[in-house]
Amino acid sequence: MSWQALRHRVLLPLAGVLIVLAAWQATLLAYDLPVVVLPPPWLVAVTLVKLLGTAAFWRDVAVSVYEFAVGYVLGGVLGVAIGMLIGEWRGFRLAATPVVESLRFVVPFAWIPLTILWFGTSFTGKVVLVAYAVFFVMVVSTSRAIATVDPTLSRVGVALGMNRWRLAWAVHLRAAAPTLASAARAAAAIGWIAVVAAEYIGASAGLGLMITNAASSLATAVVIAGMVVIGLVGAGVSALIGWLARARLDYR
Amino acid sequence: MRALGSLHARLAPRAHAWILGCAGVAIGLAVWTLMAHVLATGGGVINRLPTPARVLAELTRYASGDLWRDLLFSLRVFALGWAIGAASATIVGLVLGRVRWLGSVFIPIVEAIRPVSSIAWVPLSIVWFGFGLGGKVFLVALAVFLVVIVYAIDGSRRVSPALERTATMLGMNGWQRFRSLVLPGTLTEVLIGSRVALMAGWGTVIVAELVAADSGLGAHLISVEQSYDVPAVMAAMACFGITGFLMNALFVRVERRIMPWRHDSNEAGS
Repeated sequence: MSWQALRHRVLLPLAGVLIVLAAWQATLLAYDLPVVVLPPPWLVAVTLVKLLGTAAFWRDVAVSVYEFAVGYVLGGVLGVAIGMLIGEWRGFRLAATPVVESLRFVVPFAWIPLTILWFGTSFTGKVVLVAYAVFFVMVVSTSRAIATVDPTLSRVGVALGMNRWRLAWAVHLRAAAPTLASAARAAAAIGWIAVVAAEYIGASAGLGLMITNAASSLATAVVIAGMVVIGLVGAGVSALIGWLARARLDYR
Repeated sequence: MRALGSLHARLAPRAHAWILGCAGVAIGLAVWTLMAHVLATGGGVINRLPTPARVLAELTRYASGDLWRDLLFSLRVFALGWAIGAASATIVGLVLGRVRWLGSVFIPIVEAIRPVSSIAWVPLSIVWFGFGLGGKVFLVALAVFLVVIVYAIDGSRRVSPALERTATMLGMNGWQRFRSLVLPGTLTEVLIGSRVALMAGWGTVIVAELVAADSGLGAHLISVEQSYDVPAVMAAMACFGITGFLMNALFVRVERRIMPWRHDSNEAGS
């Protein structure tokens, strides 16, 4: 690595981290803030390490990730299926567009109270919520991707004697795959945060519940450590989906 | 006669779309009504599904009462947070984008914070700011900042080198180049980013008001939820949806007016 690259990729970012940590610590000292308001960075690190050693923490992570995964798969499959129908079948598109467009603006978070009324604080409620969030991202992007497939590809398919189903499955879906891959990552980010938000308001376990409980007992270090974990899991899920997509689409 | 024919040909697809669209909505409402009647007689978990008519009645009742007060409060939180977030993201983005070493120092930190959605900050903001206006504005500003900063950095760097060289050759000094090349480019990107951030910001308002429920639409939603009033819950959800839709439509229109060349009909909302 050249000196220039080393400086800009490693040394300066490292300096940035140090500056932020120093500013954090300096704020504490300058204003003499109590730990409840802002714990020092080392305390957050220690708390995080301690958390990693407890079984309850891992149970919370597992509950949240499980709720997310089931909802994600459900919403993703349904979303791509309905999105393909909308993209392939003009009549269905015209009929479904007003319904989809009007529901799309009712963001998933607004559904949280209703899912609690219907499903309680159970697993089902979170799954429904995540599925709803993921569904709309996938429907919108799938239908657009299918509608904008290069018409030449469709003509080649027709010339090769493909019927409508075969064309949709073997040509359109493949051509739309790169767009779907990036939509799948965006959907994962939204779905993950929907789980966390749902757990703030009604849950019996999970990371969102963990940090709201910590906040109400003023364990601020635990709150910040929990936020770090939420960010890491979110980034991890997104990276995993990106990696899966790349592995499947390496013909590009 | 021919003119009439071509008019008909132009109108026909539109009419077709309208008829099918209305049919879709009608089918949706019919299925909903049917489900409400079926589920009312012991449908397991979802036994409290009201008919669309009852939700509409509830909505008009709410609209003739407290809706405007709640909506005004939510919109104030949103507008304050959105303005603060977009303005600070523009300034920070310009500095980080144009000053290379500062960019190398701080952009990785911005990138590290970005995956932690503003929603994850809700409990911390309650510890810091309590249940009032300040904490909610902070959360919305953060949500908008995290989206717009990317557009601002990108926009500030997008000036083509050829243009910059030409400007130098024409004798423009650093400040003039900044004012007439960098700033307009950045502001166009910021405007696009601000629209993209619209839904992120509005979603954050909802979660913040649901958790720190003291006033606003979200607080109303939580209070009717706690009294098991499903029609009112759905009416409040509709208010959130309609407001989000109107804000997005307004922004798309403004964007089209200001920057007709950047209009892309394929990107909207969320």
